[in-house]
Amino acid sequence: MEKYNNRDDLIAALTEDVTPVTPIRPRQGLALIAFATVAAALACVVIFGFWAGMLDGRASPYFWISNLLLAIVGASSATALVSTVTPRVGAQNPAPAWSTAMLAVLPIAVFIGVMSLEAGHDHGMSLSDPGLRYWECAAYGLGASSLIALASVLFLRRGAPVSLNRAGWLIGLTSGSLGALAYNLTCPLDSLLHTGVWHVAPVFMAAIFWRYAAPPLIRW
Amino acid sequence: MVADEPTLARLMTAAQGGDKAATSVLLSEAGLWLERYFRRRIPPHSIDDLVQDVLIAFYTKRATWDPSRPFLPWLAAIARYRWVDHLRKVYKHESQELMDDDASQDSDEEIVMARVSLDRLFGQLPERQAEVIEMVKISGLSIREAAEKTGQSESLVKVNIHRGLKKLATLVEKAE
Repeated sequence: MEKYNNRDDLIAALTEDVTPVTPIRPRQGLALIAFATVAAALACVVIFGFWAGMLDGRASPYFWISNLLLAIVGASSATALVSTVTPRVGAQNPAPAWSTAMLAVLPIAVFIGVMSLEAGHDHGMSLSDPGLRYWECAAYGLGASSLIALASVLFLRRGAPVSLNRAGWLIGLTSGSLGALAYNLTCPLDSLLHTGVWHVAPVFMAAIFWRYAAPPLIRW
Repeated sequence: MVADEPTLARLMTAAQGGDKAATSVLLSEAGLWLERYFRRRIPPHSIDDLVQDVLIAFYTKRATWDPSRPFLPWLAAIARYRWVDHLRKVYKHESQELMDDDASQDSDEEIVMARVSLDRLFGQLPERQAEVIEMVKISGLSIREAAEKTGQSESLVKVNIHRGLKKLATLVEKAE
């Protein structure tokens, strides 16, 4: 918009054809993200097939621990993300950072477990576990996350986020965790070595990617 | 005198409903509030441009105000966002000039702007960075003169100015 020499002229120009607007609500963003997550999960089920192990008791505790932690990260970061759509000042919600730290316990446990193997304590783990090398899960989780990231970016573009870097981190955490969750429902590999690495890796990868990719897309 | 929070919130509710008169009054009141907000933050000659910039952002993003929340913190958040954007542009411009090696040819206006914007934050920079920014960007010395005075090489002076300005921009962005 052109610059006006006089502020009154600017105000007159702005108010020339005022139209009613409907306030943007964070819950609209939550609904959009939930819809994108369900769509991503359905796409994964169609492509890879549903794993019934979670229904008939075959799924190990690691499957539940990793996926429930992903759900917690997804819920906390999505809630924080949609609240950035309206400009505000003051304390920021620390829940996404703490829940991500909780999720990071899994790869740390894997690392310590592998170190224990070196010391002769296997704790039921083995480096010959095929899940340790099946990195494709992380790639599929990342693929599913792109749909959720797209929905998040579209929602934020309607709003006015004032902390672009934080919004970028939150887009990554939300899309990475929910995208991984959407894909993991189809994965029959449920050892700690697999779930603790490849099922949670998309969260950290997406967070770093969107921290840098998102700001130019949501700047206003 | 600027209207109080409840009055502004009522005007904003009316503005979201498409009330032309309320929108006009609200923009005028917001303009006065913004003038006061920016008075302590940027040089006087830049205030009106920035106020206009914020008023346009205010108008185009008016749907992002939640009627259940106070109005002034919302306006302050937009003002701060635009202010940081303004400073980023100033720093980017200064940094670009530095890379072009035209630092000593800054206009008076830019030097004053740098002085006002940087002074408050200088205390948080390493001494070597603050020292060369002060010499080159504010006192108008050339890179070579600053290098001779500080004993740093010309390349190091450039690097320190570049890093210092970048750090200042980060500090401003992080400031609540």
